[in-house]
Amino acid sequence: MSERLTLDPAALARIGNLELVARWVVEGFISGLHRSPHLGFSTDFAEHRPYVPGDDIRHVDWRVFARTERTYLKTYEADTNTNFTVLLDVSASMGYAHGGITKLAYAKLLAATLTWFSRRQRDRVGLVTFADDVRDIVPPSARHLPNVMHALERATASGTGSLARPIAKIAQSQPRRGIFLLLSDLYEPAADVLRALGPLTGAGHDVIVIQLLDAAERTFPFEDSTTFRDLESGERLPVSPAKVRARYVAAMDAHVTAMRAKLGGGRVDYSLVDTSQPLDRVLFDVLLRREFLRTAV
Amino acid sequence: MPLLAPLFLLGLAAVAIPLLVHLVQRERRDPIAFPSLMFLERTPAPFTSRRNLRDPLLFLLRALAVIALALAFARPVFGPRPNLAGVDVRRRDVVVLLDRSFSMRAGDRWPRARAAVDSVIKSLAQGDRMTLVAFDRRARAVTAATSDAAALRAAVDSLSLTDESTRLAPALSIAQQRLAAGDAPRKTLVVISDFQRSGWDLTDEARMPVGTEIGAIDVGGVAPVADRAVRAVEVRRDRRPGPSQLLVSARLTNAGPAARGVAVRLEVAGRVIEERSVDLPRDGGASVSFAAVPAPPDPVPARVVLAADSLIGDDAFHFLFNQAPVLSVLVLEGRESPFLTRALAIGDAPGFDVTTRTPSRATAVDLAGRRLVILADGAFPSGIGAARLVRFVEDGGGLIVALGDQASARSWPAAARLLIPGQIRPAVDRIGANGAVLGSLDQQHPALALLSGPRAGDLSAARFYKYRAIDTTAGVLARFDDGAAALTEHAVGRGRVLTFGSTFDGLWNDLPRQPAFLPLVQQLSRYAASWRDAPRAREIGTSVRPSDLARDAEPDDARWIANAPSGARTTFGGNGAPAALELTEAGVHELRPGGSPGARPLLVAANIAPAELDFAPFDVLRLTNALASIAGTAGTSGAPGAEAETLADREARQSTWWYLLLAATLLLVAESIVARRSVTRTPVLE
Repeated sequence: MSERLTLDPAALARIGNLELVARWVVEGFISGLHRSPHLGFSTDFAEHRPYVPGDDIRHVDWRVFARTERTYLKTYEADTNTNFTVLLDVSASMGYAHGGITKLAYAKLLAATLTWFSRRQRDRVGLVTFADDVRDIVPPSARHLPNVMHALERATASGTGSLARPIAKIAQSQPRRGIFLLLSDLYEPAADVLRALGPLTGAGHDVIVIQLLDAAERTFPFEDSTTFRDLESGERLPVSPAKVRARYVAAMDAHVTAMRAKLGGGRVDYSLVDTSQPLDRVLFDVLLRREFLRTAV
Repeated sequence: MPLLAPLFLLGLAAVAIPLLVHLVQRERRDPIAFPSLMFLERTPAPFTSRRNLRDPLLFLLRALAVIALALAFARPVFGPRPNLAGVDVRRRDVVVLLDRSFSMRAGDRWPRARAAVDSVIKSLAQGDRMTLVAFDRRARAVTAATSDAAALRAAVDSLSLTDESTRLAPALSIAQQRLAAGDAPRKTLVVISDFQRSGWDLTDEARMPVGTEIGAIDVGGVAPVADRAVRAVEVRRDRRPGPSQLLVSARLTNAGPAARGVAVRLEVAGRVIEERSVDLPRDGGASVSFAAVPAPPDPVPARVVLAADSLIGDDAFHFLFNQAPVLSVLVLEGRESPFLTRALAIGDAPGFDVTTRTPSRATAVDLAGRRLVILADGAFPSGIGAARLVRFVEDGGGLIVALGDQASARSWPAAARLLIPGQIRPAVDRIGANGAVLGSLDQQHPALALLSGPRAGDLSAARFYKYRAIDTTAGVLARFDDGAAALTEHAVGRGRVLTFGSTFDGLWNDLPRQPAFLPLVQQLSRYAASWRDAPRAREIGTSVRPSDLARDAEPDDARWIANAPSGARTTFGGNGAPAALELTEAGVHELRPGGSPGARPLLVAANIAPAELDFAPFDVLRLTNALASIAGTAGTSGAPGAEAETLADREARQSTWWYLLLAATLLLVAESIVARRSVTRTPVLE
């Protein structure tokens, strides 16, 4: 397994065609997993129901039949064509990179890959890009994979970011229950994030949050005393990195810890992704965690 | 290790710059974009000193580069400090250049110059040595390097002014050699002159040894020189009928206030012929003409004299007075044509004495006294005879052969064939093709150089309807457009033969109707006859040989004695003596063959060079700047040895600074590479 987890995000970003990248990653990823039991968002077992003439006998649960000599069919949520919507943060801070690819570019790869993965399972796929408000919407549909890919490709980072307002709008516009994947750097207090996700979680949506951070945002490797400029607000701050590095790293760690605790407590599937990590590793971790969450429920 | 410029070691303090750079945190000028300042605190203390150096390798490279640069400029010298132990470092070698040219006669320049030398002598300290160099157009060290003030003063007293012009370059060359050869630690050059502009050319190579102190004492003063002078004399033949007479006119100049009624007189052979009065405008000139004077056949001394002013020497202009020399020409032509004789009748520099005969009637008697024979239609003068004509040329006579209709190889006897440069071809008739033209012309040749000047006429416009090709490849001066030789030259004995492929009578060509005909014929005649103009007056500084003065004079390699106007006798020619007489005094010089004191002398008139009469000075600062070049190196000629080598000499030889500069360059290149690698990666924004 480990020898496959080497998809360099920078190399993938250079390919340029998101759909091609997503398809290549997903197909390769699945063929490497073989018969892994930990697959899918919506292939989860739902319920047994009695067999009625006309049902597809391939779905008869033979183990139940062996024990009970009753014919039951296994039904899966996948069969229900779940909506899978990516919520992509395109605020200016997502345009940051320190040597590698930007967070937005990484998020696009991840979104494209998971969207392709989802569509492969016959889910309806959609996309919402937002900063402090909704920018672009591709409603979930079985035929909207190309639209999603196109919208991803044209997304650029700009403006200030805020979760509450756009997510509230999205929750109103999509009453049907589905899966929402939020890709953001989450530069808001964890409590505010949880509060902003409230309309989605409250409506019964399955919410997955992936926080994307550059390695420099975790380690603050700068040396020279200089002025730092906030990418979103433009605010400037004179900083001596050597002096503040330790406190910064501690604050960031505390932020991540709080995010994990708050969102986990709020039954939101939260992951932290470093944009220098191989893409397939992240993909595997996300899906593994999701299966873990499912089984833990 | 001695240093030539130790003050540059102060540059080592610049090492503090990279030290500070590496100890103090740098503040970037451009702000760093960051996703959020949410977790950052304001820490406005950018220049916090550090205990440890950042990038020690980078610091080392930068510091070494600064040290190498400082050392390079300090110009280190390896080896012990030369020749200073036990030596009085204040000792000087002094060279004084004293101008004694003609212009130093003006005002009180000469007394001031002598006083200046005296002041330099007085300034000599114990151990100082001085060399006195007197110069005009030439330079001579009057004394060797000495500290004997009495000897130096005696040398100054022995000097007198000359009539020569000024040239600084030879004197500077002597000074450079003497200073380079001296072993004193200090060197001083003092130039005492009126610094005439004509005396020094910026292109003259003049560099003193490094460290030489340059002094210039200008004795010319600020006031312009007031001077009246006779600058030139013109002697013309009086063309009025009657006995041969000459008209003399003189050009006078006046620098200074206007002068009215200035007396000017003409003297010939010591007798005043005429005296006139002339008004001279302020800073201007005037001409004065004298009445015609009968011309003696042989030259006699003459001069135009202006009333004396404060500057004596240029008030008289010396010249030779005699009938203008005449070039005697025998023209042999079967068909009388006016063009040739008329062309030779014009002008008097020289005048041509032309006698015309038909080739068949000319005899050997007609050659007597002639310097040139022109065969105008190519017919051989059988009356003269081949042997006599050949001897005439071999003795230095000139011959011009125009290959007309009478010229053919058969008409010339075999004994005279050496007077023809080659086979003479039959006449070519080009009248149907509008004539031939000259295809090429050697205008660098003395016989044709006159035509190369502007407005000298264009021979290429002449049309040749008929001509004879000369079958030769040597000595071709001009060719027709078909490549055939048109004009050739060859020597026979001491004489010259010019052969022209057409005629001068206007029948075979339209050459006589071209403007270039007159100068062409006269110049060909002068060249064929080996004519040399004998100027009536020459400039001081020029050289003359007896053969320049008289064609039949004793040969130049014989011994000659010249009597200068001052009475000084000079021997030249012969073994061990100068080959020519160099004119150094104004006046008339007499030249006699050695051993013939009673012989009639050859006369040469000499006058002050016009350039010396231009008293305008140049800026002395330019001279001192040129001489005090720090790039100059001490001369090697006459250097007494290694112990005389100065610190500067050794530094120049070692050129250590060059290697240090190279090392600094390499260190800076290495610094650039290392710095590039250590630069923190720059954030990328989408």
